[in-house]
Amino acid sequence: MKRSFLALLVAALAFAATGTGGASTRSPQAAGATLISCGKTRSIGLMAPITGPAASIGTLQGKWAAFYVSRYNRTHKKKFRLVREDTQLGGPNGNAEALKGAQALKGNGKVLGVIGPAGSNEVKGVTSTLKGAGFAFVSGSATNTTLTTDGRRTGYFFRTVPPDAQQSKSVTRYIVNTLKYKRVYIIDDQEAYSTGLADEVEAQLKAAGVTTSRDGVSQQQSDFSALIAKIPRDTQIVYIPWQLAPKAQAFAQQMRQAGKSNIKLMGSDGLFAPEFESISGVYASFFPVQPTDATIKAYSRSHGGNTDYFGAPSYVAGQVVGGAIDRACADGRATRAEVRRQVAKTNLKRTLLGLPVRFTRGGDIRGGVFGIYQSKNGKFTRVA
Amino acid sequence: MNWSLFFDLTVSGLTLGSLYALIALGYSMVYGILKLLNFAHGDVYMIGAFVGWFALHGLGGPISPDLGAWMVTTLMFLAAMLACGFLGVAIERFAYRPLRDAPRIAPLISALGVSFFLQNSALLLFGAAFRDYDSFDLIGSRTRHVGNVYLATPQILTFAGAIGLMVVLTLVVARTTVGKAMRATSFDREAAAMMGIDVDRVIAVTFFMGSALAGAAGVMFGLVFGQIYHYMGFLAGLKGFTAAVIGGIGSIPGAMLGGLVVGLLESYATGYLPQGSTFQNLYVFAVLITVILVRPSGLLGRAAIRKV
Repeated sequence: MKRSFLALLVAALAFAATGTGGASTRSPQAAGATLISCGKTRSIGLMAPITGPAASIGTLQGKWAAFYVSRYNRTHKKKFRLVREDTQLGGPNGNAEALKGAQALKGNGKVLGVIGPAGSNEVKGVTSTLKGAGFAFVSGSATNTTLTTDGRRTGYFFRTVPPDAQQSKSVTRYIVNTLKYKRVYIIDDQEAYSTGLADEVEAQLKAAGVTTSRDGVSQQQSDFSALIAKIPRDTQIVYIPWQLAPKAQAFAQQMRQAGKSNIKLMGSDGLFAPEFESISGVYASFFPVQPTDATIKAYSRSHGGNTDYFGAPSYVAGQVVGGAIDRACADGRATRAEVRRQVAKTNLKRTLLGLPVRFTRGGDIRGGVFGIYQSKNGKFTRVA
Repeated sequence: MNWSLFFDLTVSGLTLGSLYALIALGYSMVYGILKLLNFAHGDVYMIGAFVGWFALHGLGGPISPDLGAWMVTTLMFLAAMLACGFLGVAIERFAYRPLRDAPRIAPLISALGVSFFLQNSALLLFGAAFRDYDSFDLIGSRTRHVGNVYLATPQILTFAGAIGLMVVLTLVVARTTVGKAMRATSFDREAAAMMGIDVDRVIAVTFFMGSALAGAAGVMFGLVFGQIYHYMGFLAGLKGFTAAVIGGIGSIPGAMLGGLVVGLLESYATGYLPQGSTFQNLYVFAVLITVILVRPSGLLGRAAIRKV
């Protein structure tokens, strides 16, 4: 008995010291210090919901990131290659797919930096893995305020979109000062991104003297009729900071079925997607990209006239990661840690966002703001 | 008392409850005849929703259908019910029949396996993206209101359709030869076989009917709630099973009652209880546990007499 116990203990220790155990106990510094030969083609990881309920936004991010790579490759001898990992944001497996993708990138010895992930909850879920691999990861859409303030990913995580602290201010300002509404119903989707943003907007609206009601609903649910029945008919606007545009579309359709189509709907950046855009009159907050920018025009020309704005910040994320890899690879070899340091030093003078890109210590873009858009004839048009 | 809210919640609960009742009927019928919990039933319902969607788009789509909207809707139901009916028969033939005399855990595991098989097949074949029925363009452009009660066409269709199907099923079971054979097989399979009843055939018919009802429920779901996806069968199947247990598994009127009870509970919980929409499943399953504790055989179920 004693002998078999000892054998088990030894086996467990051996397992911990190799394979799974060994990898997980390696420090981010050690993991990021491995020298990688840059070669002619350098690899950038892309984490986005390519399939799943949020595929519509992930596809746009993928298109814009690929657009950056193709433009870069046309004008440079050394090339970039995207290694795509599908996170299936909002899918039934939660963050499991994102985690699998992060582990795949971690194990890919050629990948030097990562664009993404898309969702704030995903960023939280994969932080340990991506940090453990020593990556800089630059998201073009994760806006939850705490991602850059809780100190858990400082020096590793960056984003090319402003945080929800900015988004909530823009939303509140528009509801209070422009629409002059007094009765607002807020429904979060029970995920970190949504509840965080809903909390901020609710607090600011209350401070401005607006009457608010608050509810939450799982995005695994499809029947919103009972929840809609609860919304008083004299409500002026329902604020839904959700991530899944198809669910918001279904919500809007069920509002119409319940005879409440007179109540306005406002979503957040997560709903700046074709499904929500197809509903006439709805509002959404979004990062104000510059329609007149040459890059936007070039994208539109090569994509049948589509601008696919939601994915545009992922182009900038590509510029950030690509530029950092270029600088780190100046001597032909680089470590992920070097790339990380170069990302932190980013200084893009002009971008399609209409502002230069430099990062705060926490990883936020300096001077970012949000705009408010309204769907008119099936297209979002900026109204503030 | 806010009567407007109460009526709105009741309409919502009855609509949802009708879907649960149709799913619960499949569970109950199969359990009644084989004492098997067919956990693949929720996924048959999901397949029904997809078949309905493909039928809709094969007939021109919701905005400009090739035939009249009601004809298209009828054909969607027919396609989904037939496809699911045959799918149910195939599942019984290949996944359950070989295990009929095996220990009871074996078909249960087989049922779970079939559930995952269907779910993953749907993911592979149809993709993970949501598909929109766009029923508003097809049949839902008018919302009727009587006083403060708002009724959308798909809601009326769902409730009336579910009641109609339940009445037909009750008549089939109570008044036809097939129904009599089903009741006999449910009562005592061996004795029924000795009386000359083709038990295999009766079981296949039971699967066909139960699965066809699930297919109809899938189309109703798409028409009322708009969007379908490969994972939708899991939670709906679980709720349908809960409804069957609350009503008394094996009992057809019990399944109907259970479905409506679960639907109304969810709706009232969302409307009246604190953070109801967040915790509605907590309330529903709390009721399930209470019912099982107080009446283990369910609201309309009968306790089995065991001779020792």
